[in-house]
Amino acid sequence: MTNRAFRPAAPLIALVVGILLMLPLFVESTYALHMMILIFISVITGSSWNILGGYTGQYSVGHAAYFGVGAYTTMMLLQFRQVPPWYGVWAGAAAALVIALIIGSICFRLRGPYFVLASIAVAEIVRVSALNLKNITNGAEGILVTEIPPWTVGGATITDWQSKVPFYYVGLVFALVVILVSRLVRSSKLGYYFQAIREDQDAAHSLGINLTLYKNAALSISAIFTSLAGSLYAVYVGFIDPSTVLGLDLSVQILMIGIIGGVGTILGPVVGALVLVPLSEALRSNVIAQGLINSGLVREDSAVGAFLKENLAHAHVLIYGILVVIVILFMPDGVLGFVRRIAVKKAKA
Amino acid sequence: MEIFLQSLISGILIGGVYALIGIGLTIIFGVMRVINFAHGELLMLGMYATYYLFSLFHVDPFLSIFITMPLMFLFGAFLQKIVINRTLASPPQNQILLTIGLGLIMSNSVMLAFTSDYKILSTKYSSSSVRIMGISISLPLVISFAITAVITVALYWFLLKTDTGQAIRATAQDREAARLMGINVSRMSIIAFGLGSALAATAGALISPTYYIFPQVGSAFTLKAFVITVLGGMGSVVGATLGGVLIGVAESVGGVYFGSGWKEVVVFVLFLLVLLFKPSGLLGKSTT
Amino acid sequence: MAILEIRHVSKFFGGLAANSGVSFEVAEGMVMGLIGPNGAGKTTLFNCITGYYPPSTGEVIFAGRRMNGLQPDRVCKLGMVRTWQKVRPLTNLSVLDNVIVGALCRTNSVKRARDIAAEQLRLVRLDHKNALAAGALPIGERKKLEVARVLATRPKLLLLDEVMGGLNPAESEEIIRLILDIRHAGITQMVIEHDMKAIMRLSDRIVVLNSGAKLAEGPPEEIVRDPRVIEAYLGPGE
Repeated sequence: MTNRAFRPAAPLIALVVGILLMLPLFVESTYALHMMILIFISVITGSSWNILGGYTGQYSVGHAAYFGVGAYTTMMLLQFRQVPPWYGVWAGAAAALVIALIIGSICFRLRGPYFVLASIAVAEIVRVSALNLKNITNGAEGILVTEIPPWTVGGATITDWQSKVPFYYVGLVFALVVILVSRLVRSSKLGYYFQAIREDQDAAHSLGINLTLYKNAALSISAIFTSLAGSLYAVYVGFIDPSTVLGLDLSVQILMIGIIGGVGTILGPVVGALVLVPLSEALRSNVIAQGLINSGLVREDSAVGAFLKENLAHAHVLIYGILVVIVILFMPDGVLGFVRRIAVKKAKA
Repeated sequence: MEIFLQSLISGILIGGVYALIGIGLTIIFGVMRVINFAHGELLMLGMYATYYLFSLFHVDPFLSIFITMPLMFLFGAFLQKIVINRTLASPPQNQILLTIGLGLIMSNSVMLAFTSDYKILSTKYSSSSVRIMGISISLPLVISFAITAVITVALYWFLLKTDTGQAIRATAQDREAARLMGINVSRMSIIAFGLGSALAATAGALISPTYYIFPQVGSAFTLKAFVITVLGGMGSVVGATLGGVLIGVAESVGGVYFGSGWKEVVVFVLFLLVLLFKPSGLLGKSTT
Repeated sequence: MAILEIRHVSKFFGGLAANSGVSFEVAEGMVMGLIGPNGAGKTTLFNCITGYYPPSTGEVIFAGRRMNGLQPDRVCKLGMVRTWQKVRPLTNLSVLDNVIVGALCRTNSVKRARDIAAEQLRLVRLDHKNALAAGALPIGERKKLEVARVLATRPKLLLLDEVMGGLNPAESEEIIRLILDIRHAGITQMVIEHDMKAIMRLSDRIVVLNSGAKLAEGPPEEIVRDPRVIEAYLGPGE
């Protein structure tokens, strides 16, 4: 995998980053910015998951725990203690780290499917606790942001929190940082050891690798960045409750971003985010149904048309499910792996 | 004391139904080594089938088992043969994801077809209760337990006394050895998944008079099924039986003493304790 | 000076004694052969020695230090490392990366580790395949890879578990040459092998296990003539 990775050239990367940095200057559509922010959040969660799942081979289906802990810490500090979110995110990260080390000490004694089950169980414990500890978290009512103080950063002071632009840049910076960290980790001793653990845990152990230490290292990095995404999401959307930020659905979604692009690669989660976010948004907002009708493929007044218009918006999770099944059956190396294999075949032809 | 006894008995009765769910999952794991994340959705399908058989055709939920059980057996067999079989040689995470995906497809298709509205299946006896030893117990629960007991006994007889049943046990014990002895192991996988699905759906049918019916009801049961099978030992039918009753009791009694909001946490904490201290379960053999 | 002392080591699995009361010493710099029929407890002994699981009774002393209960990674850092009866390549990593993982035991610098790894691969004559995925190698080269990988951890004592299993004569010859080179470099070795001719050539001393207990110990010429050893392998009678 280390040799067969797809590595875009540096100038291309610089170009893409440059475009992303300047995007809000010439794109006015708030909807486009909204999509980009969601994509950034997904890139962050997917890449973070990848460090634990893709590199180290520990498939967590409970990553919502870290997302939610970040979200809740930031929101509780903001709403109940008036701590601005640019400090709150770090408290969130610290809280997520503590939770991660506790979870790690329980779950890393287990392997394979038992680890998966344990990761789900602990995330559910966190969710139900948030639901029940109403005095601390507001329980099922959730937490709503009422006001974000002005923020002075660089030379500028941000006062307009209705605008998507500040969230866009925070998202972009976090996403770039996590991608950079992924790259640095992979080419470092940490990365080698993580992958050794993934490939053969017992062999790795006998080669001098302290399994507990390194698994917890992977989890810690993963949890911290996932919590940053959670904090950003919370302040951006302005409202959180246990089912949206701590639910099993979210954990599965994070897992899928990591897998659909291609496990264990740097670009994989990016591709995963680029596929899943627009698809889910398009379904949610009825764009696809409208598109099919407008293009004449389906008549608006037909039974199929009416059905699509009614229901496709609710069907995005169904499409998720179908996508997962298709990817697992036909593209087990993810979209990236699939594309790569086709490219290799074409090159040979 | 009466409250304790009442919750204990309800716990045991519902535990019987949980045992069915757990047995189904443990057979699937034992034979195929697949962790079926869609198990709860199979139960949900059983619930919906029972609901519509009742509301459209007035078939009593308990009697409708004769229809849903074979139907869901075939459905499960079909799923295994056409979809899941392709991933049996893949790493376990692929299988996990596949069953997660199938579960999502099942629950969301049902949501699209029948909406997320909570459905209630009310029979004449849904809220009837019966007095046993001075304690009031829900009648549907007693009937479910009785049916569960019958099915479990039949299952044990099948596994112990019939050729196919013994072949399944052989495959669960050692797939390669079974293959070398001439057992058609892929056929065993199909039967196992069919059986597991039928049992899950039957459990769904049994609880439909007393539970809300909605598309997402499955996921809570999937997790519970895992806890049961791990507790009893993955692959052990007897273990799953005992595990089911234990979880039923833990949940029921835990709910009374800690508040119903914390009942799930009681179960999960129990789960983690077992995973940590006796991962092979109370009765199981270690297969990791 | 004995680099490894095995003192009355026993290992029980339930009621089964996989090893019972095994005692011997390995002197520094030698090649100790470990032989015995299948099921004699040879790999179990390796597992006890390297911390895969602790012995039930008895002691493992390495370079004067009691090793019972130490984890395999600690054992490796202290200078004792093993290869596996069933080869365990890190399949999706390249050949070079496999050995880098080994080298990282002694350094935190990936660059330094890469240099060490490249050198080891050159020594086992596998460096032409550095960029290939380990999973793509045939069995003989996988065995060489595993040897290169453990050598990169700079061990004082190397435990080789049937490293010639499944190899053709030419491949076995290469491994024999490797073992002799390693001996020349001053690294102590304990070798489990079924290939009698190879064991005779390589070993300074041989320990014979049978049904978990030590049956005999001595220089190769004595062992090969020992009637108890012959009976253990060929059965009683002729």
